[in-house]
Amino acid sequence: MSEQLARAVTVAPAPRFSTEGAKAAGLRLVRPVRSRARKAPFVVVVLTLLSIGLVGLVVMSTVLQAQSFQAASLHRTAASLQTQQQGLQREVEQLQSPSNVARRALVYGMVPNASPAFLRLSDGKVLGTPEAAVRGNNITRVSQ
Amino acid sequence: MVIGVFGIFGARLFQIQGLDASAYAAKAIQAGTAKNVVPAPRGEILDRNGVPLASSVDGLTLTANPRMTAANAPQIARLLVQKLGNRIDYFDTIDKLRTPKSQFVYLAHDVPAWTANKALAAVTKAGFTGVFDEKESLRTYPGGKLAANLIGYVNGVNKGVSGIEAQYNKALTGLDGSSTYEVSPTHQRIPMADSTVTKMVPGSNVTTTIDRDLQWYADQRLADAVKSSSSDWGLAITMDVKTCQIVQMSQAPTFDADKGTGMTNENTVSRAVQNVYEPGSVLKTVTMASLADQGKIAADSKIVVPSGIDVDGFHIGDYWEHGTIHLTAAGVIAKSSNLGTIVAASQMSSKTMYGYLRKFGFGQQTGVNLPGESQGILTNGAKWSKANHDTIAFGQGISVTAMQMMRADGAIANGGKICNPSVVSGVTSPSGKKTPVNTTPAHRIVSKQAAAAVTRMMEAVTAPDGTAPAAAIKGYRVAGKTGTAWRVDPATGRYIHGQNTVSFMGFAPADKPRFLTYIVLDKPYSNAGGGSTAGPVFHDIMSMALERFGVAPTGSKSPKVPQVW
Repeated sequence: MSEQLARAVTVAPAPRFSTEGAKAAGLRLVRPVRSRARKAPFVVVVLTLLSIGLVGLVVMSTVLQAQSFQAASLHRTAASLQTQQQGLQREVEQLQSPSNVARRALVYGMVPNASPAFLRLSDGKVLGTPEAAVRGNNITRVSQ
Repeated sequence: MVIGVFGIFGARLFQIQGLDASAYAAKAIQAGTAKNVVPAPRGEILDRNGVPLASSVDGLTLTANPRMTAANAPQIARLLVQKLGNRIDYFDTIDKLRTPKSQFVYLAHDVPAWTANKALAAVTKAGFTGVFDEKESLRTYPGGKLAANLIGYVNGVNKGVSGIEAQYNKALTGLDGSSTYEVSPTHQRIPMADSTVTKMVPGSNVTTTIDRDLQWYADQRLADAVKSSSSDWGLAITMDVKTCQIVQMSQAPTFDADKGTGMTNENTVSRAVQNVYEPGSVLKTVTMASLADQGKIAADSKIVVPSGIDVDGFHIGDYWEHGTIHLTAAGVIAKSSNLGTIVAASQMSSKTMYGYLRKFGFGQQTGVNLPGESQGILTNGAKWSKANHDTIAFGQGISVTAMQMMRADGAIANGGKICNPSVVSGVTSPSGKKTPVNTTPAHRIVSKQAAAAVTRMMEAVTAPDGTAPAAAIKGYRVAGKTGTAWRVDPATGRYIHGQNTVSFMGFAPADKPRFLTYIVLDKPYSNAGGGSTAGPVFHDIMSMALERFGVAPTGSKSPKVPQVW
C-alpha cells in the first residue's frame, strides 16, 4: 500500500482531493489519536501537593516560632519560680532552725531540760531521775 | 550599561562568596549564636539526719552604670537599702552610684536571687534605670554560725578554703554544663537550628556525722560559758565512742559565713584540730591507763603522796597545800594530785611512757580528715629529762590538739580500743549512689581491765567529794577528769603565771559508755578550775546528747572505791 501511495504522490504532484480517488488509492480517513491520560487532574494534584507543602511549612515554622517564644517565656517563669522556691525553702529552713525554735520556746517560758529520764513503755518503768527543769540554770538566751 | 551594572554586582558577589566567605560566616555565627553556661550547683553538706548545713542557691551580683544612676543616686540607694538590708551601706552606695567617669561599678556581691530580684523590681518600678545584675551560684549556710568551724566556708569562686568545704572540695564541686544554639537578632532561640549541649553534673552531697540540734545546743551553751568565764576561746566536742563519729563540734567565738561576719583568723581557725595547748590533768587518765595496762596500778592501789617534789631545780606541788598524804589511785585522780601521779608514773621508764603516749595517738594526726590538722608536740622519750617525765605524766610539757585528746580518752571509754574520729559518714553522688567513707577498725592499745580500772578512777571525779561534782548527771554513772593547765606564752615559750587552760573530759554511762564529751576553755578568769567552770558545760551538753540519742541510764550503782587509806 505504501508503494502505491508513493507512486501516486510522485505521479500526480498536485492532485485534487477526491474521496473516490482516495478510496481508489486504498486510503481512508482515520480518527485522530486521543491521549488516554487527561492533563487537568495531574496539574491539580501537583498544585495541591505543592500548596499543602508550602502551607504546612509556613504553619509549622509559625507554630515552632510561637512555641519557641512560649518556651522562652516558660523558661523565664521556671527560673522565677525556682528562685521563689529557693526563697521559700530558705524561709522554712530559718523557721525550722534550732535557734529559731529555741528562741520561740524561751519566749513561751520553756526551758531546756538537763536531767534526762525515760519512760519504758513495755513496763511503765521510769529510767533515770526525772527533775523539773528550772529557769535560769541552763541556756537563757539565743545568740547563735 | 546593563552589563556594566550586572558586572559590578557580580564582582561584589564573587568577593563576598568567594574571597571573604569564611570571615563573613564566622561573623554571622558570632552574631547568631548564644552560649549559655549552666553552672553546676555545689553539693550540699548535710547533718546525720539529712538536714542541710550548707547548700547552694541562685545568687546575683548587682552592678550599676553610674552615668545612668548619678542623677537619682540617693533615691536608688534608698530603695536598694530597703530591699537588701545590711548587705549594703546607704552612703557607700550613693558614692558608687555617682562614681565619676565610670560606666560600671559593683554594688553588692552574693545576694540571694530572691532578695536581689525584689530590689531590681523596686528600682524598675520607681522608673529608674542603670542597675543591672549578673548571675552566680551562691553558697548559703542556713544555720549561720552552726558548726561553722567544722563546715568551713568557700571563697569568691566557690572553692572551699576551710573545714569540710575544703577537705571535700573535689566531691562537692560539680561540672559546669553549657549549651550553644543559634539565635535571632532579638536573641530568640531559632527552632530546629544547630545546637550543642554539654550536660551539667551537679556536685555530690557530703553527709556529716553531726546532729544539728545537739550541735546548736552545744554551740549556744559553750558561747554562754566562754562569755561568763571571760575566756579567750572555748571548745566542746562530743563523740560516739562505739563508732568514733563526732556528733557535735563547737567552737566559740566563731564566725557566720552566711552573713560574712566575724571572718577573722582567730574565729575561722578550727581549734579542735589546729590549736595545740598543754592538756594538764586530763592526761593523767592516759598515764594511769598505761600503768594499769602493765598491771602496775589499780583503782585502789595505795600511793604515798609527798608534800612536794623538787626536780631539776623546779618545785612541783599540788593545787592545794598538804603534807604527806595517803591516797589511792582513784583518790589521786579524784583529787587531781600532780604529786600522786608523779609517784605512780615513776614505776615506768620514759621509754615505756613515751611508747604508750604514741599508742594513744599523741604526736600524730588523728585521721579525722580535716584540713590543717596539727600533730601536737611530743618530744621523743629518749630525750626526756627527769622533769619532763614527771610533768608529762600530769599533762604539762606536752602539747596536744583537742581531737587527739578525744581519740586517746575515747580508747579508755571504748574498753581499751582506739579508733580514728570521723566527721563525715559518706558522699552521695547526684545519681543517689552513696559511698561510705572508709574508716579504720578500732584496735586494742590497752587491756579491757586497764580501761575498766581507769574508768573506776574517773567515776570518783564526779562523786560529791571529787573535783567535779557539777559534772555528775543524776541517774547516770559519769566518768570524767578535770584539767587546769598552765598556759604557755607562744612568744617566749614560758608559762604565764595566773593564765590557765581549763577543761573537762568525761563519758557516760560509765558502765556502758556511749558518748565522750570534752570541754576546753582557754584563759578564763584567773581562779577558774576545770571542775567548776567546764564541768557544768559538760553536764548540760552530755545530758542533751543522752536525751537526744535515747541513751537510758543502766540503773547500776558506782562501786565505792576508797580515795584515802
